[in-house]
Amino acid sequence: MQARNTIASKLLCKCQGVFLPGIFLSLAILLSACQPAPSEPSVNLDASYPSEAGGSLIDTMAGEPSGLIAMIAGESAASAIASNIFNSLLKYDKNLDLEGELAQSWEVSANQKTITFHLKPNLKWADGKPLTSADVLFTWQLVTNEKTRTPYGADYKLVEKAEAPDALTFRVSYPQPYAPALDSWAGLHILPKHLLFNQDINTTTFARKPVGSHFYQLEDWRTGERISLVRNPHATQGQAKVDRLVSRFIPDVAAQFLELLADNIDSMTLNPIQYARIFPARPDLTKKIALYKELGSGYTYMGFNLKHKPFDDVRVRQAINYAIDKQELIDGVLLGLGEPVASPYKPGTRWSNPSLHSYPYNAQKAIELLKQAGFEDHDGDGTLDRDGKPLAFEIVTNQNKQREMSAVLIQRRLKDIGIDCKIRVLEWASFVSRYIKTGDFDVVVLGWSLSLDPDQYSIWHSSQQAPGQFNFVGYNNPRVDKLLEQGRLELNPDKRMKIYHEFAEILLDDSPIVYLYAGYGLPAISKRIKGIDSPAPPAGIGHNSYDWYIPSPLRRNEMMQ
Amino acid sequence: MSGYLLKRLFWMLPLLIGISLISFLIMHLAPGDITSTEASFNPKASEESRQKLRAIYNLDKPVIVQYGLWMKRMVTLDFGTSFASHQRPVFWQTKDKDGNVSKGMIQEALPITLLINVLSLVLIIAVALPLGVISALNQNRAPDRAITLFVFIGFAIPGFWLALMLMYWTGVVHNWLPISGIHSLGFEKMSWIAQAADSLKHLALPIFISSLGGLAGISLFVRNGMLDVLHQDYITTARAKGLSENTVVYRHALRNALLPLITILGLSIPGLIGGAVIAESIFAIPGMGKLFYDAVMMRDFPVIMGILTIGSALTLLGNLLADVAYAWADPRVRRGVMQ
Repeated sequence: MQARNTIASKLLCKCQGVFLPGIFLSLAILLSACQPAPSEPSVNLDASYPSEAGGSLIDTMAGEPSGLIAMIAGESAASAIASNIFNSLLKYDKNLDLEGELAQSWEVSANQKTITFHLKPNLKWADGKPLTSADVLFTWQLVTNEKTRTPYGADYKLVEKAEAPDALTFRVSYPQPYAPALDSWAGLHILPKHLLFNQDINTTTFARKPVGSHFYQLEDWRTGERISLVRNPHATQGQAKVDRLVSRFIPDVAAQFLELLADNIDSMTLNPIQYARIFPARPDLTKKIALYKELGSGYTYMGFNLKHKPFDDVRVRQAINYAIDKQELIDGVLLGLGEPVASPYKPGTRWSNPSLHSYPYNAQKAIELLKQAGFEDHDGDGTLDRDGKPLAFEIVTNQNKQREMSAVLIQRRLKDIGIDCKIRVLEWASFVSRYIKTGDFDVVVLGWSLSLDPDQYSIWHSSQQAPGQFNFVGYNNPRVDKLLEQGRLELNPDKRMKIYHEFAEILLDDSPIVYLYAGYGLPAISKRIKGIDSPAPPAGIGHNSYDWYIPSPLRRNEMMQ
Repeated sequence: MSGYLLKRLFWMLPLLIGISLISFLIMHLAPGDITSTEASFNPKASEESRQKLRAIYNLDKPVIVQYGLWMKRMVTLDFGTSFASHQRPVFWQTKDKDGNVSKGMIQEALPITLLINVLSLVLIIAVALPLGVISALNQNRAPDRAITLFVFIGFAIPGFWLALMLMYWTGVVHNWLPISGIHSLGFEKMSWIAQAADSLKHLALPIFISSLGGLAGISLFVRNGMLDVLHQDYITTARAKGLSENTVVYRHALRNALLPLITILGLSIPGLIGGAVIAESIFAIPGMGKLFYDAVMMRDFPVIMGILTIGSALTLLGNLLADVAYAWADPRVRRGVMQ
């Protein structure tokens, strides 16, 4: 591997160094806990202040967006910033139910094949031009156009006919009912036709100076440094309180943290060490920075290659599931800042089946199940074997500290019951191309997002196993196939919920993957920012960020104002 | 002399082609391409659309065909556009039909890296030269030992660790220097003096960190060069005819001892455009190192090849420049070239 991959492996060594500083820095900050903090103006951060408009909020992100047209850019940095600039037809509210954004209302036809959206009246783009259903139609044409370099066209290509009968109505028809459709319309940023109709969407400079309709518009983008957004006077959803949002690009987490400590930025996402070890030891920090916890957006799992023996045997998979102590992983890897999951849905939301629980840690049961499957230590070497072959495999994962640490803890637990596993860690692109696409792996540790729409067709349907598709573990259960197909056809939320509750139950029983944990999102936000909902609702802390405000006595001295 | 130069320049061409071919092949040995990034590992992204992208970027063709296509563009000095950054030009800015300018990626990253590297090279030489001379004049005595110890500590200390400690000390504990980035917010509205001061404050730590590691090499080079020269007969002659020690050391010895430094400087020209990934990440500097690292991680082939091509062309030019400078400075070499 290493010899074949010289550039990458050289850089890998460097890359690992980037993660190390965090540890040293943590130590230094812990040690210096007793040092006097720099003198600060005496304002009471904890007092209550009336809501008022104005001020700047500075946050930070590790990566820089490649562009602000989300359908083309694709990375999370791009959608984080673009979602302050662009609207979709629908959005998720704080409890993760759909509500209208540009659309005032929508209705589904009796045969469930046609959805009609009614736009809010008098919508405007940031440049003052009217926003109408023609823009929505145009955006649909863009995302389904063969020439558009977007990976997200599939959902929209299912639309048989899209039309804009009048300026406020947009109607789409599907050849058959498609339940994830509503979710897809909550995920498509509507783009302005009047600025883009004669442009090549793949190369247009609009991606770096967009005009949208949401709370903010682009003020300035300094490559590699920051993007600043200012309030959009024509915003379709009312006016946000904070005048200006600045996102600084700081790739190194330790450097981000220093900026937070020095009060140069207002918010960042912490890692568990910063959250659970450094902050409690530094009362001077908790005085000016508030910590929050929100449901994470993804879960980490260990997946078996069901096409390889012995993982085709459900008893072996269940045994390994019983042998892994999920709480130990949460305590060890996330310092307790996460929770176990038993279905691919956010715990506490409609789609998550409340009667399901992850496999409890039970080594005895694991050994029994393995014995039933024929695995025992016949030759007395400490490793279980069957037909003379030891139960040994390799856990492959990508360079992600949490996944690596999880793999190590799993390795030890499995050794306890006589399973011998090795760990291999690779850089992402090599990992995907060499192991996932080829299907040439035994066990992987990876993550999936906890999706808002329950449709999991592309991950679990047996037809999705070709190289490059997402059912790479090779799961094949006719009942699950049936449920996934039904779930796509059923638009009634209650009936849909039943379908996915059953799907999650079968999936848990079959144990093609071991759900390990879902880590919390850990935002740290300066106490000068007021109006934050705590505890966070299912949608997370940012669901009402347009209502956050910075009382004028607490604002920074800003040269920009 | 000009004949020699022309010959050298001519031979660079096949060398460059060879280097680019090998780089291209090695780059493609690493598994994965732009469609296997972490962002595209998304259940909403279909495999068909990834195949389509692969076809658009010619990634489905044999490597040698892709190389041919790249070469065809390079002949017209077209470095292409980035796969990963919304088709931004790799090297220099382009204008679309409406007069909107897209800045080139290297064009934006290069000046920052160049500034940091040139300043730290100047700092290294300004410090290492006297250190080397002092060491040589005090060979094996306390000042020599102390200097050697100091430069080796500077060489051995992990840069990222020292960087973070200094950032914490100068930025959080004391509010002396900015922690990361290259400009303050509101930089645009400052007077030019304030802008210069602001840039200098932001660059102070990165320059210091990247100089510290380079001190050891140059100062020991100067020290050993000095020692060699000081033991030669003509120095003894110079002393014997009664020249003052200063004249002997600085006029006769140092000038000769500096000759090998020309080679080192020539070789460091390509290094000037290569940034340090770790330092740039920690200090949030959008320079060449970060650009290259991200391009490799995203398998953004046009950007990787663009940087490698410019880097290797500069290496070859640097070598040539060093040789020419050497010939200019040293009559013995000059005579050798002329024959």
